Amino acid sequence: MSSKSLSFSGNSGCGGDGSGVRPWPSSTSVSASGKRIQKEMMEFNADPPSDCSAGPKGNLYHWISTIIGPPGSPYEGGIFFQDIIFPCDYPFKPPKVVFKTRIYHCNVGSDGNVSLDILSRSWSPALTITNVLLAVKSMFTSPDPYNSPVPNIARLYLTDKAKHDQIAAEFTRRFAR
Amino acid sequence: MMTSDEGAARIPSAIFPSEISLEESYNSSFECCVCLDLLYKPVVLACGHASCFWCVHKAMHGLRASHCAICRRPYIHFPSICELLHLLILKMEPTAYKRREIDVLEEERRLDIFSPHFDSLVSENASSGILRDVGGCSENLKDRGNIPSKRVGQEDVSRCYDRKHISTDDVLCAMCKQLLFQPAVLNCGHVFCASCLASVAGEIPKCLVCKSLHPGPFPNVCLDLDHLVEEQFPTEYAMRRVKLQQLYKENLQCGVDDPSVSENQNVGIVSKKLASSEYLEESHLLLDEDLFNAHVGVGCDSCGVYPIIGKRYKCKDCKEAIGFDLCEPCYNTSSKRPGRFNQQHRPDHQFELDDSHMLSRIFMQRSTSMEDSVQDLSDYDSMNDPADQNGAIIINSDGNINSFVDNNDGDIGGSN
Repeated sequence: MSSKSLSFSGNSGCGGDGSGVRPWPSSTSVSASGKRIQKEMMEFNADPPSDCSAGPKGNLYHWISTIIGPPGSPYEGGIFFQDIIFPCDYPFKPPKVVFKTRIYHCNVGSDGNVSLDILSRSWSPALTITNVLLAVKSMFTSPDPYNSPVPNIARLYLTDKAKHDQIAAEFTRRFAR
Repeated sequence: MMTSDEGAARIPSAIFPSEISLEESYNSSFECCVCLDLLYKPVVLACGHASCFWCVHKAMHGLRASHCAICRRPYIHFPSICELLHLLILKMEPTAYKRREIDVLEEERRLDIFSPHFDSLVSENASSGILRDVGGCSENLKDRGNIPSKRVGQEDVSRCYDRKHISTDDVLCAMCKQLLFQPAVLNCGHVFCASCLASVAGEIPKCLVCKSLHPGPFPNVCLDLDHLVEEQFPTEYAMRRVKLQQLYKENLQCGVDDPSVSENQNVGIVSKKLASSEYLEESHLLLDEDLFNAHVGVGCDSCGVYPIIGKRYKCKDCKEAIGFDLCEPCYNTSSKRPGRFNQQHRPDHQFELDDSHMLSRIFMQRSTSMEDSVQDLSDYDSMNDPADQNGAIIINSDGNINSFVDNNDGDIGGSN
């Protein structure tokens, strides 16, 4: 067996399958990923995690979600919007989560990209959007400064947490209400 | 700004009007965690977790060790379909299983790659007609490709199949011929009680039905199947438990010197023994020198190792798009098992060595193709793997050459 549905692009150049067919985009059909996203939507709507909401925005592969900043964190009281983009070979590739609301957090880049382990290396096709939102939500209360795209914020978080929290609360007040 | 709730309410009716809302219900313990649908042609990994055939195959890495979607345990062998579980689900959820079959078959036709087919299905459902097509070779399927399968499919969906009651005969261990107790599934897809397996297993468990070796670690108990058996046959299952416990006690009384140590004890010993070797094997897989000898996206059709590392033997006579490949150990044992993708492979087919997918070769080829002209590239390909290239590229047609070249350019551009 030799698969054409490979994430590694290297197999395509060698024409090894001899079919002359472009092996990429992958064999996951739009309908298969679409069905799965639809199922997730139904499951999400039936039992949404607390303080979260999510749903498609015009297109099944493009969702928007909101998370309410958890009490006890500097993000308390803020409403944070995210864009969730599903790749066409979802769930074999992770969705992309981008913060639309400005946030002062060491795991959210200045462009809003979330750097979470489960959204890159540790992705598993058994994870659902509910799991992803819960992970993003737990990021509010427990940031991971050792795996941060914004070293400045991570450094401040490690050295002067009070100042970090003050700035984060200020960002929340200004941009997330 | 539109709130997300509004969006959620509006979309489903707009995109797939009826498909999901009319969906039949099925036992949620049979749900595949990857497609969130009923398990179709279930494959059970060595960790005991089950997914659909295609869900497992598509989630596999193709270059490195793959990880179970549920427990992330690494594995490199793509197991065969567990036929026992397949027939069980077919019996218990016939309507939903039918729908899955039609959906998957449509997708397979589109890709011209087919999952293994089971003969027992044909005789059972011959009335529906569509199944005969599944069994045919790919030429057959192409001939019938002009039949609007969608229409046939809808007729089939509307038909409801009676749920059959499963009996204990459906869930017997192939070794002790009794009800499965803590079943474990081997790489070949055959199911045994974990205790039976442990009682005969040496270093490497071997299947008693198909005689193939089980590569990798000792399989865990498939808990989904175990719970199902316990739920369906509570009294029989309890009896099995009591019997095994008695046996265990008797053996204890006989003393440790007794060579026929209890089955339960054996499970412990064997799984411990194999657990220690397991991690050695997996770390071994990730060595960099292995990586360069890995055939990207090429799996062995006999043992299921994916990717093949080292020598790859490719069948010259199998015409299916997916091809038929063997790894070196399977080639040497001249295994008689059928392909993983319903290939019509026969023992008299000829093999040849093929390294067109080898990672080191791909890197070499990349650099050549970047520097050299288009003509050189196609010469290079036809020279190195004549059987792999179909005539289209070599023999004729500017269109084909062009499309081939376009692909190359696009991919090189994309990867840089």
